[in-house]
Amino acid sequence: MLYSLSSNRAGNVSLGVGIPPYIASWGGESLAYSEGDPYTQHGRSSVGVNRQQNREREAIIGASIVRPDAADKVRGEAKFVDDLSFAGMLYAKVIRSTVPHARITNLDFSRVCKHAGVVCIVTADDVPGENIVHVIYDDQPALADGIVRYIGEPIALLAAEDRRSAERAARLAIIDYKEIEAVFDPVAALKPGAPVVAVPKVVEQRPNLFNAMHIRKGDIEQGFAEADIIVEETYHTGYQEHAYLETQGAIAVPEENGAMVIYGTMQCPFYVQAAVAKVLDLPLSKVRVVQTTTGGAFGGKEDIPSVTSSLAALLAWKSRRPVKLILSREEDILTSSKRHPSIVHYKSGARSDGTLTAVEVDLVYNAGAYQTLSSAVLWRGVIHATGPYRIPHVKIDGRSVATNTVPCGAFRGFGSPQVIFAHESQLDRLADGLGIDRLEIRRINALKTGDRTATNQRLGKSTGVMETIKEAGKRIRWKDRLKSVNTFNEKSVYHRRGLGISTVMYGVGLGGKAPFLDKAGAYMKLEADGSLTIAVGNVEMGQGFTTVVTQIASEAMQIPMNRIHIAPIDSSRVPDSGPTVASRGTTMSGLAVINAAKKLRKRIAKVAGSLDITEEEISARLNEIAQAFWMRNLDPAVEGWAAGAPVSWNPETGLGDAYFVYSYATHIAEVDVDVTTGEVSVEDFVAIHDSGKIINRQLATGQIEGGIAQGLGFALMEEIKERNGELSVKGLTTYRIPTVRDVPSHAHVDFVEALYLKGPYGAKGLGEVPLMAAHAAISRAVAHAINTTITSYPLSPEQVKRNVALS
Amino acid sequence: MLPEFELLMPRTLPEALEMMNESSRVIPLAGGTSLLVDLRGRISRPQMLINIGGLDELRGVRVEEGYVVVGSAVTIADLKHNVLIAKHGQVLQQATRVFANPLVRNRATIGGNLAYGSPAADAAPPLLVLDAEVELTCKDAKRTVPLKEFITGVRETVRHPRELVTAIRWPILPEGSVGVFHKLGLRKADAISVLSIAVMLHRKNTEDYAQVRIALGAVAPTPIRVTPAEELLSGGPLTPEVIARAAQLASESTHAISDIRGSAAYRKRVITALVKRLLTNLAEGTKEKKHNESEGYHS
Repeated sequence: MLYSLSSNRAGNVSLGVGIPPYIASWGGESLAYSEGDPYTQHGRSSVGVNRQQNREREAIIGASIVRPDAADKVRGEAKFVDDLSFAGMLYAKVIRSTVPHARITNLDFSRVCKHAGVVCIVTADDVPGENIVHVIYDDQPALADGIVRYIGEPIALLAAEDRRSAERAARLAIIDYKEIEAVFDPVAALKPGAPVVAVPKVVEQRPNLFNAMHIRKGDIEQGFAEADIIVEETYHTGYQEHAYLETQGAIAVPEENGAMVIYGTMQCPFYVQAAVAKVLDLPLSKVRVVQTTTGGAFGGKEDIPSVTSSLAALLAWKSRRPVKLILSREEDILTSSKRHPSIVHYKSGARSDGTLTAVEVDLVYNAGAYQTLSSAVLWRGVIHATGPYRIPHVKIDGRSVATNTVPCGAFRGFGSPQVIFAHESQLDRLADGLGIDRLEIRRINALKTGDRTATNQRLGKSTGVMETIKEAGKRIRWKDRLKSVNTFNEKSVYHRRGLGISTVMYGVGLGGKAPFLDKAGAYMKLEADGSLTIAVGNVEMGQGFTTVVTQIASEAMQIPMNRIHIAPIDSSRVPDSGPTVASRGTTMSGLAVINAAKKLRKRIAKVAGSLDITEEEISARLNEIAQAFWMRNLDPAVEGWAAGAPVSWNPETGLGDAYFVYSYATHIAEVDVDVTTGEVSVEDFVAIHDSGKIINRQLATGQIEGGIAQGLGFALMEEIKERNGELSVKGLTTYRIPTVRDVPSHAHVDFVEALYLKGPYGAKGLGEVPLMAAHAAISRAVAHAINTTITSYPLSPEQVKRNVALS
Repeated sequence: MLPEFELLMPRTLPEALEMMNESSRVIPLAGGTSLLVDLRGRISRPQMLINIGGLDELRGVRVEEGYVVVGSAVTIADLKHNVLIAKHGQVLQQATRVFANPLVRNRATIGGNLAYGSPAADAAPPLLVLDAEVELTCKDAKRTVPLKEFITGVRETVRHPRELVTAIRWPILPEGSVGVFHKLGLRKADAISVLSIAVMLHRKNTEDYAQVRIALGAVAPTPIRVTPAEELLSGGPLTPEVIARAAQLASESTHAISDIRGSAAYRKRVITALVKRLLTNLAEGTKEKKHNESEGYHS
């Protein structure tokens, strides 16, 4: 049975049980946008799609289809970057700074050069192009030029015939420094007279202030004057390390005609392409980037692959040989970007009925020595500072600050988990102060369709936050569970139980800070046997992107999934499709694929007509049609394109349509605290998400379970201490992430699907949201269990025990 | 990257002892779960290792002349499932359940856990309250050292460079003995202890007579027995007052350390509270389900 994508058909279809009526209908019509502008058409014709067709579509979209990459990964056959090698390949080693802030007075590589196997050395003087790693602001040198600003900063590179020689030779480098006074604390760095860390051209107003952003809505004085209760607190969070399975790495291969090819583990092939072109002074067209099978990223492979690829490329350019650079785990942890440590001062006011009147937030993020992604991270933190709540009077100030520490960057949630910890803690304190139930105060204040956000954006139909709260409460049986927790606590001597709830919103895509990145391309080719080859510009990094895109293509083309192959991501195959970040992969590449499919279906329909093949028979007889394409010299390839819906954000006021749509979630955790030791155990967990239509239920559930684990780690155990710019952990022995025993054995995951009509089949983003909600639900549960205010992470047994003593 | 080293592969114990006798710089390798981490982290740089993990003479658990004898190359996983240990070393078996992770348990050996000399060795506190002894063998001689004298400092033991730890033994417990082990880590599995406690209670026919042994791991430079508290409790009866006083004494008499896993103050507070809780449970016959052994309780 054929499902045609020709326009003028729309569904006013029941989606079956479990889909609340507030969700608008969805149908083929919403996908039938015009080329280049997928968001503008919203025809509301009402030619119904029959239920039979709808069920068939449901068979692919929403189904838990096994990921095509699973078997190779399970069997160990997937090729990660370190599994690849090229004839004549050299091994790179980075010579790094051992001091946090210094002028380099002398470099002596005479002993390095004499070491057997060493082929070449590269310093800042050798860089043929601009000596910078291009991310947002061009402040970070690829190789330190006379000055180092953090421990671990690359100073020089060497390439040797084998890995062991590279390692050994690197230890023979002699670097003389004249140390400069350093600053490690962001608050101290902002004080007058503090040592200047930041490169002058990238600071705002004063030294070390990388970025300052704000939101002003309503009248904050009036808002607090209207409040019957005001609570105020300062919250602290530290570093979080991604701890992806596969460490950072790249291979640079010089090719004929001066071209350079990069193979590597990454999220953003087009960032890497731009960075390598800049450092080698090559036109973009001479740099080709191929993403290799990527063993996890979580944001950690947004900016760093631009560094590793640039460094490998410099050595390959100088030696004219392929060069492999793989970071050891220790090197990776010490030098790669992490979640920004934060200081969040939060003041909130509410009326006696629980209605929020005003929120004032001041947040300071420790950016480290260079900007990298800090301005974007801070922006998301500022926009998300109020949470998914209706607040008339808002005043937010955010600053990211330069210090002599490792540069921080992207990590799942991207600046939002820090403020979520604060906004959820504040809301609970208001509820407790007013004697209102904690779930109820969220219902009272949750944003609805038509409400305005902190940036004064009016929310559209896909606003399912209220449903996530209600559904989560229902699943855990909130009131009953509160009672059983109280009963338990009355009886137990050594244990206390607690319930925590956390509700979050997440702006999908890059939003008003970088609207020019919200685009994606797709290339689709009908092969002569009727199978389909597709190239896209976003990446699989473990999250299931390939599977979801295949499902979308299968649905859009009405071709079985096993006839579709997604080619390895290669920057030469598709236009710049932006980064695979910000939970945008499914939405953006999905739309580009649908757009391409629409064009190809049109051509196919025409050829089918000439062969007397009816619309219903197209899928079954596609090989005949493909043969006809081939015989008649018809063009079997198409390109698809998607651009983000318009956003408009005014940096002066901080107001505007910050993102084109938001995803939502409510998590509830039950914890058990051992009051003797302070150990916390997460005993039960409910996670309800609104990410619009779920394309693959099993993968989405997996994303959420993973996010719960990562959020649990952030709240309870993951910790890096920094002392004089030196990090306290060197590997996974001392950097503790949760084990399978630490995560809740039963996480009840479900979805309320507030369809986003401009997304592929109604989908919004999901990737980051689970972590964002999970950590706060857990920390709020601990606070409830031991009846205290919690103001910093991680909640190690020692910290919990200290709080037990205070309660 | 692992540094290069020479690896000796003896096929029998006499051959191994012969090799050990030839050089005082040969480092025994059994499971390698600590040693290889150190090598990789360049904490130690031995030139020569000798693999004793596969030697048959160092395998097996048996009861011999009133003693339980465990070969030094018996793995933690073996102990976890061994029926003789279930009968005669229940407190040790509790420790094997929370020891590192299944992969490490499959490789790590009981001898290696002690000979490495870590203050946080999880097998040490249970063996201390079992009054265990360590059998040391060199080419021409054999000697037995009480465990509490075996580990002398952080990664320091009385083992002579030419000796191998060949067995661990302890006297079979009298009837009426019951022990408990509690591990406090920073996560539920694969954690280095912040603190571990083993308590052994022996009661004679009458409720009033009790003998108590208490050992602590990861709080001092070596695993320790808490003698002052034991003395206070010996003879019984175990009233709530005497338990509270002993718990306090256990904490006060311990020179707790501060490290990256916890402060001395925290350790001291937990010692007081945990000793009291474990002793009370033992005295009352209460069994608690521990966090790091739990499987969650909601369906």
